[in-house]
Amino acid sequence: MNYCQECQVSVNGEWLSCPLCHQPLEKVSDMPTPNPYPDIPLRFNKQQVLRILTSISIATISIALIIELLFLRSPRGLNIISFGIVSMWLVVLIIIRKRRNIAKSIVYLIISLSLLSIYWDYVEGWSAWSTTHAVPMICIFALIAMYIAVRLVKIEVGDYILYLLCAALIGLIPAIFLFFNWVTDPVPAWLSIGLSTIMLIVTFIFYRGEVLRELKKRMMV
Amino acid sequence: MKRKNWVRLDNASNIFLASVTDFDTKVFRLSATLEEAIDPILLQLALDKNFEAYPLYRSVLRRGVFWYYLEESDLKPQVQLDEQPPCSQLYHFDRKELLFRVVYYQNRIHLEVFHALSDGTGAMWFFEDLLSEYVFLQNDFVSAEISKESSQSERVVDSEHTDSFIHHFRHKGQRSYAVATQSAIRKLAGASKTAGKFALNYGKKAMQYEMTDKEKKKKRKKVYQIKGKRTIDNRTHVVELNMSVQPVLKLAHEQNASLTIYLTALFIEAIRKTNPIVEDGMTIAVSVPVNLRQFYDSTSARNFFSTTHLEYTYDPSEKTNLAVICKTLKEQLQQQLSSNSLETRLNKLIAYEFNPLTRVIFRPIKDGILKIINYFNNRRLTFAMSNLGSVHLPQSIDEKVHQFYFQTSAVRPQFCVISHQDYLSICLNSPFVETTLYKQFVRDLTALGVAITISANKIDGLELRGEQN
Ligand SMILES: [Zn+2]
Repeated sequence: MNYCQECQVSVNGEWLSCPLCHQPLEKVSDMPTPNPYPDIPLRFNKQQVLRILTSISIATISIALIIELLFLRSPRGLNIISFGIVSMWLVVLIIIRKRRNIAKSIVYLIISLSLLSIYWDYVEGWSAWSTTHAVPMICIFALIAMYIAVRLVKIEVGDYILYLLCAALIGLIPAIFLFFNWVTDPVPAWLSIGLSTIMLIVTFIFYRGEVLRELKKRMMV
Repeated sequence: MKRKNWVRLDNASNIFLASVTDFDTKVFRLSATLEEAIDPILLQLALDKNFEAYPLYRSVLRRGVFWYYLEESDLKPQVQLDEQPPCSQLYHFDRKELLFRVVYYQNRIHLEVFHALSDGTGAMWFFEDLLSEYVFLQNDFVSAEISKESSQSERVVDSEHTDSFIHHFRHKGQRSYAVATQSAIRKLAGASKTAGKFALNYGKKAMQYEMTDKEKKKKRKKVYQIKGKRTIDNRTHVVELNMSVQPVLKLAHEQNASLTIYLTALFIEAIRKTNPIVEDGMTIAVSVPVNLRQFYDSTSARNFFSTTHLEYTYDPSEKTNLAVICKTLKEQLQQQLSSNSLETRLNKLIAYEFNPLTRVIFRPIKDGILKIINYFNNRRLTFAMSNLGSVHLPQSIDEKVHQFYFQTSAVRPQFCVISHQDYLSICLNSPFVETTLYKQFVRDLTALGVAITISANKIDGLELRGEQN
């Protein structure tokens, strides 16, 4: 046991100086009393580092984009690269942030990637490749991916069913593209609509109760 | 397939969720020391057993569109060696995990609980039962060892015996998930019909409340805020003080004050002594939680407390002493504990929860609003103190368990008090590196003749490498 003359306290553990006033301690007895607080190494704050790194990268990319758009007025090639980088970061961020729920992250990916491709198409002078190919394909593969993922990871029905429903509903959006004739080739859109419809019917037949229960739980007012 | 029970999280708990940060984890820790080093296997057995009787502790926290909700889970708690800073985060967004942990180190058992799940008193029940179970298993284990040696017969822990033991101490039995997890306040309010009445009542009372609030603001109080340098990895800085109850109680009685009031007054004075600007008319405000179970008949293990707001304003023209501060605080506490003002606060809480408007606001927005409320609440406070009072254990285990400790994560310097038999423990918690205030508080106590033993956790790289000056 050690003792601090200044504070007049006994100190547990192997402190050389007083934890309160930082004066050297006086040894009272040779019997060391263990400190009930173990020495816990400093935590490396992974999340914080990641957060900082990501924000720096995003800031750099945005600045590069602004410079390019305002001053360089550069050709199409640079644009494509920038969009590529932006979409890469988008995917990484969504996966990191939503990594604990695969189904949820897939829904976020469908939405953000679809919007990005439409915007990209628009910036490039609209050749309707996004509505014809990109969005329906994203929807189709996302639905397949979600189906595989929930089988592989074995998450509970209640945890993904609503997101599956969401993805299936989004997969119906290409019907709007067809209606307004925003497509050059109707096949991908029809594929997406077809797959989504099958998914919706399957969900309705087998998981209706589960969907209602989840909705009730999450929408509880 | 087993269907999962769930229950909406009440508003009182929502504020904890909204105010969780990296350094203020809203986790509190109850600890107890036993005679010998803890046996993790026995502790795990005791935990498994105890876990069965507490459906509330099976919950995980999920996010809905409008509210958070608690969902029953199949997760099993695992006892852990104390390898994380005290009161480390328990709730991680989007992760399904239990909202409590049981940790051991040397001869201490710790129970850490996320505040949205329960308050100190509620958690203490779980903790007491866990300790009882552990002590029982330990004794039974010892006697089993002896009988094994003598008769060479394989004797396993007698489970029937264990049951009656627990049963003897607390008649809780196997309560249904819904009942166990329901908010204590909502249980008190009963049906929503009652809540409607409460809401009406609240309308009237709130008007009066807002009025007095505005009047208060006219005086333009400057509430002193303690500032400091954050610990490197956001860990809570702990200095634990151990002493005898009697001398401190005697000092408190000399000032005609309760232990809570006396220690709070002492802390206020310590703040003044370490920061001379306080004397120029600044206000020191402190929040003190009050266990509502003592006023309303409730055995709920959920949050069931109210906070009282005590303050003392230094007047530069007047000479202050401890007695004056004690008297002021005592009057304020009595006023706020009057049944009238308690009811007003409760009504306010219930009305807010049942308010049709707040019900349909999306949860993230609600979180935002609560964050803002929390920010302003924090601005109105200098420090916080919490006293769990004296723990009384069933006689058969009382002598096996020595001392209790209680601490919480801290957004500002604060202290937690708990006592058992003649042991009094005060845990000073702070998110800051500085010890000036701690030092003052401790020296004030020792100067009054109280013998104190301290323990502290190491908070920076130098201390951890043993390179102290
Ligand atoms: Zn000292």
